[in-house]
Amino acid sequence: MAGTTQNSKLQWLRNPGVLAALPASIFLLIGFAGPLLMVGAYSFMPSRSFSLNQIPTFENYISIIHDSYYLSFFWSLAMAVIVVILLFIICYPIAYGMAKLFNKWANLVTALIAVPILISENIRLFGWVLILLKNGILDGSLQSLFGVSASGLLFTVPAIILGLVYVYLPFTLFPLVIGISMVPDTLKEAASDLGATRWQIFREVELPLSMPGLMIGGILTFVLVLGSLAEAKILGGQAIVMIADDIESAFTFAQNWPKGSALSVLLIALSGFIVFLLFRRVDLDRVIGRR
Amino acid sequence: MNRPSWKKLTERFIILWTGAVIVFLYVPMVAVVLASFSKQRYFKFPVPAFTDKWYQKAFSSLSVRELLWTSLSIAALVTIISVVLAFLGALAFARYDWKGRKLYQRLILLPIFFPQAVLGLAMLLWFSAIGVTTSWHTAVFAHLVWITPIVILIMSIQVYSFDPALEEAAYDLGATRWQVLTQITLPILSPGIISGAIFAFLLSWGNFPLSLFTTGADQTIPEWLYAKMVSGYTPMVPTLGSLTLSAAAMFLLVAYIIWLAISARRRRLDSL
Amino acid sequence: MSDVNESFLELSGITKRFGDFVAVDDINLKIAEGEFFTLVGPSGSGKTTMIRMLVGMDQPSDGEMRLKGQVMNNLPANKRPTCMVFQSLALFPHKSVGENIEFSIKIAGQDKAARRTRVNQLMEQLRLPLSYYEKSVMQCSGGERQRVALARALAFDPDILFFDEPLSALDFRLRKALEKELKDIHRETGKTFVYITHSLEEAMVMSDRIAIMRQGRIVQVGTPHEIYNYPKNKFVAQFMGEVNTLAVKKSGKNKVKVVGGDDEFTVLDDLADFTTGFLIIRPEILKIGKAAAKMKNRIKGVAYNDYALGSRVQYQIIIDQFEEHWLVERLQDEPYEGRRGDMVEIGWQPADSILVSE
Repeated sequence: MAGTTQNSKLQWLRNPGVLAALPASIFLLIGFAGPLLMVGAYSFMPSRSFSLNQIPTFENYISIIHDSYYLSFFWSLAMAVIVVILLFIICYPIAYGMAKLFNKWANLVTALIAVPILISENIRLFGWVLILLKNGILDGSLQSLFGVSASGLLFTVPAIILGLVYVYLPFTLFPLVIGISMVPDTLKEAASDLGATRWQIFREVELPLSMPGLMIGGILTFVLVLGSLAEAKILGGQAIVMIADDIESAFTFAQNWPKGSALSVLLIALSGFIVFLLFRRVDLDRVIGRR
Repeated sequence: MNRPSWKKLTERFIILWTGAVIVFLYVPMVAVVLASFSKQRYFKFPVPAFTDKWYQKAFSSLSVRELLWTSLSIAALVTIISVVLAFLGALAFARYDWKGRKLYQRLILLPIFFPQAVLGLAMLLWFSAIGVTTSWHTAVFAHLVWITPIVILIMSIQVYSFDPALEEAAYDLGATRWQVLTQITLPILSPGIISGAIFAFLLSWGNFPLSLFTTGADQTIPEWLYAKMVSGYTPMVPTLGSLTLSAAAMFLLVAYIIWLAISARRRRLDSL
Repeated sequence: MSDVNESFLELSGITKRFGDFVAVDDINLKIAEGEFFTLVGPSGSGKTTMIRMLVGMDQPSDGEMRLKGQVMNNLPANKRPTCMVFQSLALFPHKSVGENIEFSIKIAGQDKAARRTRVNQLMEQLRLPLSYYEKSVMQCSGGERQRVALARALAFDPDILFFDEPLSALDFRLRKALEKELKDIHRETGKTFVYITHSLEEAMVMSDRIAIMRQGRIVQVGTPHEIYNYPKNKFVAQFMGEVNTLAVKKSGKNKVKVVGGDDEFTVLDDLADFTTGFLIIRPEILKIGKAAAKMKNRIKGVAYNDYALGSRVQYQIIIDQFEEHWLVERLQDEPYEGRRGDMVEIGWQPADSILVSE
């Protein structure tokens, strides 16, 4: 009947959300879910196998527990905690300024901070190598100006932390800006009018209302640091081994795909769990759409 | 009382702090450019002598051209495909109300939260399992998995502020669906589409962890830089670093000029 | 309205279901050519769904819509000779005032000179300065935007113009001015206007006829005069504004008694088919103080508070035996000396009582 063809025609204007979601969803199903399943499957294959037609086994997970991999997990977690705390301290004043203070300058500041994300991480980290190197920019300046040497900076844990803070700063900052700008000034004024102190206003009004932004910023950074690879390798040398490094060497150097897969599964499970907690608490329509 | 108030002091502190952090963000890039002009084989500061010989070498080198070409091809393809996928994806994310949208919003963003190195390795397994030989083509695929969700996120911000009644109004005034798309939806969403394209291009251009495992025998500039940094340093490292850096800067500059031209038209309308 | 073309737009059995929910339930309506017809109802009454079906944005689940005798159910919005002014106005932000107005005729393929002539004519008609042709719609004031939206719809030259509460976001004074302006434009163009709003007051000012909707159904259709003086039920009476209502039952040929009380009032109606229902008395016809003494129906209460309404003063009277607060209005120059807390008498004539059955 004419009515039914009309109905299907009108769906374009009425509810084509499903159609619009399809291309990207199908692509990610093939490109994201597929590889993840593959990693999961490989993690149950016997050590050093390069195909999936073996008898499934738990040996990789058991050997991970027996080996000292917990140390890499510990370092990754420790780095993630330290970096997130440092970044909150560093970013909060800037985010506050961008949300409430800079007005027309806020766009410029946003651009200046966003541009480095678009420059290859390797190049920027290499810049830090040049600065921290023995006879590098910092050491060389100190020597020629004050005669003091600062040669042992590169390939240390603080250098790694510096690199991580440097690379992930925008990922903490931007969600924080969104979070803080979600708090209307009138609410703070009302709280102050009702007799709240500066600290009480922060704790009772600003913090809870900007929480979605803080959580997204904190967790995004946490998860990214957890899986970071280049910082520890380029700035840390052999100082510590983080978990992504272990995974990479299991796949490449040791040519042990099942072991690398099992480690990946553990890392994915850990990150996934944290992200799941985040998504349960945050309404994306409100944070991104300011609805 | 003459001393500045607490509020003024915090404001001053925030401005100074922001300035310092921005300097902190750019210092390493300046260091790379500085090193690229250093005459020594191994970097030393203060720089004893400057030269442009590394640039001359880079421009005449065939392998450098090949690296640039590979990086450029990947980035261009990634931009085109991700913008198309993400435009529709963002409409589904922020424009339409449909059953399953909340779940879609969460699942589609997962790749952003994912460690890229692990994602790259997972892709490697996947390609080998389905029997695809890795080359720069597979890297395009890998980049898309990570970049498409980011572009969806960027475009969604614009789509959220788009009033669906505009499409309905145009349709009501006699426009066909194609006219609605080309004359109303696309022009109004163009700032979001352009910023999405800029991010797609530059994130692909500078990506290392995904390329590392998925380019096979081909090599992009970030991969080459990493390989030379970790072992076999050559003075070409800062040179190529500076070159990619300036390429990205040029790209942004052109984008900025286009943006200025568009907003100049808007301002011309506004000032009347 | 003349009966010649009574069924310019004819709706029969229009129903819209969303799953189990019936948003619009069996609507039958005839709208005449050139009429200013308004659908009024609270939010959720189905009026928005109704207008979306009329414009072609939604399809009715059941029923038939005929325009000039032709069924238009299957015409998509872009093929229907109707046009809507949206609640948000939906002005294209990337186009100038002129580009917005000429959108439909540009789509239709008219050449530039013809378009310009038509746009100029419309801008003049709507009192928009011709220099605004190039101005961005984002820079226009609220009232100017309304005019641009209306001009854009008129340029389409529709058989019927629909309005989805376009004035609801404006401040009181501008809204009042634009209500009258819209009615003037209706007169000038002679087009059929179908307007929806949640404000009966707004509907009264502009409309030839009003349909009151509630829970997907039409409760009453009539001229503003009919709706005001002869509300069909308590819902319509209360929707009009502040009224005093009292549950009553028949107690004589033209007498009603308060349910659960002793007070008895005289009404003018012949109560042949009335048993129980509500007595409705508007605040503006009640008399207070000395003026009340001459009225046939009288009750006493305590003056609790008073509010200045400009030309009138409104009093809130607590009437103990009804456990109710009544509102009474008095013209400013009518004499009254009572103060807050005083016991006062209020009264009205039988002819001013309105009786409804539900």
